[in-house]
Amino acid sequence: MNYLSLAEKLVSKALKAGADAAEIYISAGRNLSVNILNSEIETIEEADSAGVGVRVIVGGSLGFSYSNSLEMKALDDTIAMAVTFARLTTPDENNVLPELIGETAVQDLFDPEIEGIALDRKIAMALELEKMAMSDARITKSSGSSYGESVFEVFVASSAGQAGSYKASGCSLGVSVVAEKGEQRKTGGEYSTRRFFSDLTPPDQIAAKASRKAWEMLDPRMVKTQKASVIFDPDVAGSLLRGVITALNGERVLQGASFLANSMGKQFASPLLTIIDDGTRARSMGAAPFDGEGVPTQRRVLVDRGVVSGFLYNTIAARRAGTVSTGNASRNGYTSLPGIGTHHLSLETGKQSRSEIIAATDRGLLLSGVTGYGIDAVSGNFSGGASGFWIEKGEILYPVEGLTIAGSGDSILNGIDMMGNDIDMNRSFAAPTFRVAEMQIGGMQG
Amino acid sequence: MRLHQFSVRDIPRRRFLGLTAKGGLAVALTPALLSQLTSCGGGAATATVLDTDRDMISRVLKKALEKGGDFSEVYIENRISKQIVLEESKFRSGLYGISQGAGVRVISGNKTGYAYTDVVTEERLLRAAEVAAYVASGGTAAATVSLTDTDYKSFVTVEMPLEEIADEQRIEVIKRADQAALAYDPRIKMAMVDYYDEIRGRVIANSEGLYLRDELPLLFFIVQAMSADGKARHMARERLSLHSGFEMFSQVTPEEVAQNAAREAIAMLSAQEAPAGIMDVVMQNGWGGVLVHEAVGHPLEADNIARGIGAFTGKVGQKVASDCFTMVDDGTLPNYRGTINHDDEGTPAQRNVLIENGVLNGYMTDILSARQLGMQRTGNGRRESFRYIPIPRMTNTFIAQGNDDPAEILASTRKGIYVQSLSGGSVNPVTGMFNFTCREAYLIENGKKTVPVRGATLIGSCMDVISNIDAVGNDLAFGPGICGKGQSAEVTAGQPTVRIRGINVGGSKA
Repeated sequence: MNYLSLAEKLVSKALKAGADAAEIYISAGRNLSVNILNSEIETIEEADSAGVGVRVIVGGSLGFSYSNSLEMKALDDTIAMAVTFARLTTPDENNVLPELIGETAVQDLFDPEIEGIALDRKIAMALELEKMAMSDARITKSSGSSYGESVFEVFVASSAGQAGSYKASGCSLGVSVVAEKGEQRKTGGEYSTRRFFSDLTPPDQIAAKASRKAWEMLDPRMVKTQKASVIFDPDVAGSLLRGVITALNGERVLQGASFLANSMGKQFASPLLTIIDDGTRARSMGAAPFDGEGVPTQRRVLVDRGVVSGFLYNTIAARRAGTVSTGNASRNGYTSLPGIGTHHLSLETGKQSRSEIIAATDRGLLLSGVTGYGIDAVSGNFSGGASGFWIEKGEILYPVEGLTIAGSGDSILNGIDMMGNDIDMNRSFAAPTFRVAEMQIGGMQG
Repeated sequence: MRLHQFSVRDIPRRRFLGLTAKGGLAVALTPALLSQLTSCGGGAATATVLDTDRDMISRVLKKALEKGGDFSEVYIENRISKQIVLEESKFRSGLYGISQGAGVRVISGNKTGYAYTDVVTEERLLRAAEVAAYVASGGTAAATVSLTDTDYKSFVTVEMPLEEIADEQRIEVIKRADQAALAYDPRIKMAMVDYYDEIRGRVIANSEGLYLRDELPLLFFIVQAMSADGKARHMARERLSLHSGFEMFSQVTPEEVAQNAAREAIAMLSAQEAPAGIMDVVMQNGWGGVLVHEAVGHPLEADNIARGIGAFTGKVGQKVASDCFTMVDDGTLPNYRGTINHDDEGTPAQRNVLIENGVLNGYMTDILSARQLGMQRTGNGRRESFRYIPIPRMTNTFIAQGNDDPAEILASTRKGIYVQSLSGGSVNPVTGMFNFTCREAYLIENGKKTVPVRGATLIGSCMDVISNIDAVGNDLAFGPGICGKGQSAEVTAGQPTVRIRGINVGGSKA
């Protein structure tokens, strides 16, 4: 099916049905996933799917509908429902579609070879990965390995601008294993996600990391409740900092539902903290030529040496704020209105190596696992469950688990006193190891 | 891969689809990619896919077993959904969704093959059957499946069908909630109201001859109220959700929902730093049941037991909790959000006593894990939509009524934290380590609730927590939520007021 011409045709239909402005968003794709358990296929899944999202503005009011039935009668009904629903909502002068639909040139989002690689080879790779992860004697059980891939195309057409489309792919390979010792049971998992099949991390490296994560947590201890330094492993940086990103959402800022609402241009964190959102990075997950409503993506510095330097906007929130979209409209496929989201987040690296940061820590926690919701975007407070390794006099002593860590965003973010130089830009929230000088740690009664 | 933890939330406003995305693959891909592939909600404008010819379904079931295999299934679904969002007293958007499709599943030994399609035609279903049959080999081809109508008792009653409700009535309940929240106190600066309803129709047919067709309505209503007084800011949330008609709003009014949210928002403005470290915790009745949902419920789902890795593997008949602790999963509670009539594999819902007076009775199974473990099917095989394989899931899960007076439980606790509501939590079902985040909590000093404390994390191990429950109240109540396990499911969690001795609290004060 020619989805681009379908999208354009549906825009005209929506205008005829009474919309003053209309946008059609179509996504179509195929995905595959294979789960392996104990050297056998546990599940294999495959599917094609496609759907249409219809956004209309009628007299300043916004309506939206979607359908995954592409029969013309269903699509006509879908358009009619969007127009009907728009009449229920409140008119707002900020309800506009982006005028400029365009594209940023982003290289290599689609792997032309991925679909041609035989399924048996993909299955064999996941089988091999599980076997490698189980090869360490301390690993007693597998909770499975998997390979997954998806290939999809996105089409946007609007009465306010030109139509555009792009094609992208993604694949992932991962494994999770269990280390047991007496009654103890620890899990470790690792995966690799890439646009190109040939870029996936080699199975032996994924396997080694997954099994190490499991066995290195055996024989954990508990420490006393105390204040101490906390070193954030790259694996958990995002768990803390995602709340900062949510607080930079321009719509939340407008609503006052952000602890950074009044912080534009102000120092709110350590000068070591610089956060970049990049929708333009070649081969990167999260990158795209345009955002969820057809606005070209950008590379933006959100936090510049501890100062808020950019909020995130889609078209409607930007207009309300008196500015222009930053290319951060996000969609949950064709089933949602554009929200606000990021593309690929990274921190700017610092000077110290990870081992220098550990060596410089007199007493503290090397944090490798965090649970909870990160920094609360509204209040700025943070509390989470914590596990990792205890450090004294610059040496890693033993694993710890069942701890808590907490603090206000203000004290944690200003407390970042060392930023590492180790970064893997393939992570969805790429960060080096960094240290917060002091946080409250909860554990045994002292 | 099962790298994700299992989590539950009290229905976040915007369901974070990154967490509920397709299959195991989902967790490993970034939301930006997944967002293109996932979807939720929806339903068919014309219910044609449910009218799919039965002989055709039968041919698909046969095709699916052509290469061997023990079991085949066709699942057809259509969902019509409406969502209306109000923020800052404006109706920001109205969403209407149609989602329809079918999945074909083949089980062969421990292997499962699955394929789904948006387009429900014989050609596409036969192709899906071929893909699903990939896992089967070397068996004997199946005979033609003859399908028999199955009908189960319904635990969902509807007085005011959603189809007959004018959109203006939906608008009206949202407006009433907004006004009630703002009128509660001048420090309430904004309310956000989400209204969602759907009708989900299912046809389930399998090679055992089952043919089942039904429809379930679902309503949910979430009010968030944000307070600010110049010094502090708090976003409170209250929600209401039932499988029911629009009469839900005459049982609990939109004003009551809004006032509860506003009350929490104001109360938490004066919150102080929570203390850190191990202490006693009293959990108020209701949604606090999410603690056992996470800490005990997920580890009792039979998929990880069948894999031999679950925290409760091999413990049936053993004492795993204190004597006062009985835990139940019941998919038959009238109109509850977690009620299902029958699960998404066509097994009737039932009341399953999982732990009785501290002794482990059994697990929650789906067809596959029941076969693997040689156990009964318990009616817990659920799926988010036709895009997912059914897996063992909870329904309405709760700690059974106890004998203690809730006031006495508090009065006899010298020092600790009183948890009035939790945002949600997660658990690693293999290690049994869980965590929860408090949304509204207070200090307990000398048996009394005193000052409110900021959202602290509670963490611990599931085995410890159920052994350390030493008081169970006589005030059982429930709250609605969304449970995530690679795919989402509507659940309720419930409990009477309980006391847990010694949980680690993530406060920021020593």
